[in-house]
Amino acid sequence: MIGLVVTLVLFPLVGWSIGRRSAGEAFLFGAGITGTLLFLAGLVHIPLVAALAVIMALAIIRIATTSRNPDTRHPTPDTRLATAVMVAPLIALTFITTITPLSDFDGRAFWVLKAKGIAHERAIDGPFFRGATLDPRNHYPILIPLDGAVILGVSHDLDDRQIRWLYLGFLLAFALLVRERIGRLVSPAAGAWSAAILVWLPQFAVEGEGGALSAYNDIALAAFAAGAFFELVDGVSQSRGLAVSQDFDASQPRDRQFALWLAFLVLTKSEGLPFALVLLIIGAFVFRKRIAIPAIATTIAAIALFVWRARIPAGDEEDILRMLPTVFCKLPNLGYAIAAFPRHMLLFPRWGLFWIAVVIAAVVALRVDRRMATIAISVIAAMLAIYAGVYTATDWVVSDLIAVTADRLLMHVIAPALMLIALAGYRTKSI
Amino acid sequence: MNGRSLMPRIAGALLFLSLAATTLPRLVALVNNARALLPLAYDVRRERQMGPWYASVKALRRELPPNEPVALVATPRGVESAVFANYYLYPIRTRLFVGRNNYRDAANEPALPKTIAAVYVNHVERTTYDALRDRDLRAGRRVVAAPQLSEPSTTFTLPIAASLDGPAPETFVIEATIANPTPSAAEIRVTFWPKGLVKTLTIAPGSTAAYYDFVHQLFGVTDRGWMQVESSQPLRAAFYFVNRGHDDATLLPKVTSAATDIAAAPVYRDTKLFVVNLNDTAVTATVSGNPIPFAPHAFVSWPVTNVPRVSGNVYAFVATRQLNGRTDFLWPR
Repeated sequence: MIGLVVTLVLFPLVGWSIGRRSAGEAFLFGAGITGTLLFLAGLVHIPLVAALAVIMALAIIRIATTSRNPDTRHPTPDTRLATAVMVAPLIALTFITTITPLSDFDGRAFWVLKAKGIAHERAIDGPFFRGATLDPRNHYPILIPLDGAVILGVSHDLDDRQIRWLYLGFLLAFALLVRERIGRLVSPAAGAWSAAILVWLPQFAVEGEGGALSAYNDIALAAFAAGAFFELVDGVSQSRGLAVSQDFDASQPRDRQFALWLAFLVLTKSEGLPFALVLLIIGAFVFRKRIAIPAIATTIAAIALFVWRARIPAGDEEDILRMLPTVFCKLPNLGYAIAAFPRHMLLFPRWGLFWIAVVIAAVVALRVDRRMATIAISVIAAMLAIYAGVYTATDWVVSDLIAVTADRLLMHVIAPALMLIALAGYRTKSI
Repeated sequence: MNGRSLMPRIAGALLFLSLAATTLPRLVALVNNARALLPLAYDVRRERQMGPWYASVKALRRELPPNEPVALVATPRGVESAVFANYYLYPIRTRLFVGRNNYRDAANEPALPKTIAAVYVNHVERTTYDALRDRDLRAGRRVVAAPQLSEPSTTFTLPIAASLDGPAPETFVIEATIANPTPSAAEIRVTFWPKGLVKTLTIAPGSTAAYYDFVHQLFGVTDRGWMQVESSQPLRAAFYFVNRGHDDATLLPKVTSAATDIAAAPVYRDTKLFVVNLNDTAVTATVSGNPIPFAPHAFVSWPVTNVPRVSGNVYAFVATRQLNGRTDFLWPR
C-alpha cells in the first residue's frame, strides 16, 4: 500500500509543481521529470536519495507558493456515459493489480529487476550495472526503473507488489491525458470516448505482455509520445486559433513541454530516441524557430544516455546502429517486416476493429483538418516505417521478433490513431 | 437525428463492441482469478500462479548465503527459468551459465561463483559441480557399447583411474564392466591410490555390473590415481579410460607387476610420463638417468617431449594426445 500512496502522491506533486495541468498530465510529467532528474543526478554521481529529496522539496515549495487561478474550464455533462465506460475497466484493473502478483516476462526479466538494482544500490552505475549480477538488457534506458526505484526505496521493500501501481498509473494518466487533450482539440465527448476506447483496448487493458497488468514500459512510452504529439497538434491549433481550443491554456509554453516529452521518450525505451527524432522533425514544421529548445533537450537526453551506456557493459540487447549497415544483406526479412504491422493490426484478440477504424478515420480526418490529420498520419507512418526497418536489420529470427513485439510497437502510436478517430467522428457529426 | 450524425455513433458502437467482446471476458477471468487469490498470502499467490517452480526458488532463497554470488547453471531449456530465478533471488547476485560446460570453461576466473544452483524448466535447487557433472554423465551415452571382458582373475591393478574434466568438452572417466561368472557372490575390495580410499562391492552370482564413471560412482570424488582390485571370486572385467568429449576409449591393461620398458613411439601434444609405485614402501626409480624417489602408492606425472628411459621397481607409461583429441597410451612391455 505504501507503493500505491507514493505513486498517487509523489509523481502528480512533481508534475503540478511545473504548472497547472490535468491530473493525468501531472502524473506523466511527474514520473518523467523525476526519472530524468534522477538519471542526470546519477550520471554525475549526486546521491539519488539527496536528489530525490531536493526534487520533492522544490515541488512542495513551488506548489505552495504558486497562485492558483480558478478553473474556468467548461463542464462537460454529456460525457458521463463515456466516463463510466472508461472507469469500469480501471476499477477492475485496480482490483486485479492489488491482488495478483506480477507475472509478465520483460517486466520481471528486465525492467523491475533494474528498479530493484537501483533501489538496492542507490546508483545507476553501481555493481548491478557493472556485471556483478545478471542483468540481461543492461543498456536499456532506465527512466521508468528509476521511478520504480523511488517507490521501492521509499517503501523500503524490494518486492514488486509495491511497484505494480506505477504501471496501472501510467494507463490511467494516459487515458486522462487523451481525454483532456482530445477533449480540448476536438470535443469533450470525443476526448471522453477516446479515453474509453484506450482503456478497453485489449492490448492495453488485459494483455499479459505489455498491458497495464504487466511491468513493460510501452504504455509509458506511448503516454510520453502522446504528450509530445498533443503538443504538436496544440501548436497547430494555437497558430490557427482553432475554435475547438476554447479551453486552451495559452500560458503553457508548448515548445518547452514538447522538449520535456521528447527527453522522457529518449530515456524511457530504446525506441524512444527514433521516436523523439521523428517528432522533432515534424515539430520543426510546427514550432519553426522554437524547435531549438526541444532539439537541445533531446540532444542532452541522448548524450546523457550514451555517456551512461559507455560506462557500463552491454547486455544481450541488439545494437541497432551497428546493425543498420547490414540491412542490405537481410533483404529477405523485408517481406516479414512489411507484413508485420498490417497482420498484427488485424489481430482481433489484441485490437478488435480498432486499426480498421483508424484506417477509415484517417481518410475522413484528412478532409476535416488536413494539417492535424497529416501530423497524426506522419507520426504513425514514420514510426512504423522505422520499426519495419529495424525488423529488416535484426539478427534475431525476424518472425519470432515480430510475434512478440509488433503489438507493443503499435501501442506507441496509439495517440495519433485515437486523434484520427476523434477527428473523423467530429467531422461526420458536424457535416 | 439524421443519417449522417447516426453514422459515427454506429461506427463507434461497433468499434467499442469489438473491444468489449475481447476485453470483457478476459477482464472477468482476471477478476475471478484475483478473487480466488484474495484469501491467500502474497507469496502463496505467487506459488499458486507459478507453481512448484516458485516454491523451489523461495526455498533456494532461504538456503543461499545473502552476500555470496551464485552461479545459475541452467539447462538450455531452463534459461528463461534462470532469468526469473535471478529476479526473485535479487539482491543475491547471480551469474548465468547455460550448461555445465559454460561454467567449467570459466574455472580459471577469480570471480567465478563457488555456490551453484541448478536451474531446470520446472525447478531450481542448490547443488555442486560434481552433482551436475554426474547428472550429465548419467544422462549421456556410454562410449563403449560392447566391452571386451578379460579372462577371469581375482587380483589386478589399473595403472590409471580418473574422473576429471579438462576444458570443455574434455571429460575423462573410467567406464567399467565387471562380470561375476561364478556361482558364488563376489566380494570386491577396490582401493583408489594414492589417497587410499577403499570401497567394497558385491556382485551376485552370474551378474554383471556396469559403471559410466567408476571412480566417482564408487568414491564420490573427481580425482585421478591408480586402482587396486581384489575379489573373492575370479572376475571377468573391462576398464576403459574414456574421454566423453571425443567419444574416445582405451582399454586399460590389468597390471600385476612393475614394468618400465616403454617402446619408442611418436608422441604428439600434452605428452606425459606417468610413474606408479605399486609398493607399500618408498622406492627410487631412474628417469632419463636421474634417480627420483617415489612415496608408497605414489602416482606421479610430468610433461615429456619424447618417450624417456625408466628403470626401477615402478610401473611407468606415457600418455600423448593426437591432434584429433584422442589419447594414446604407450604401455611398458
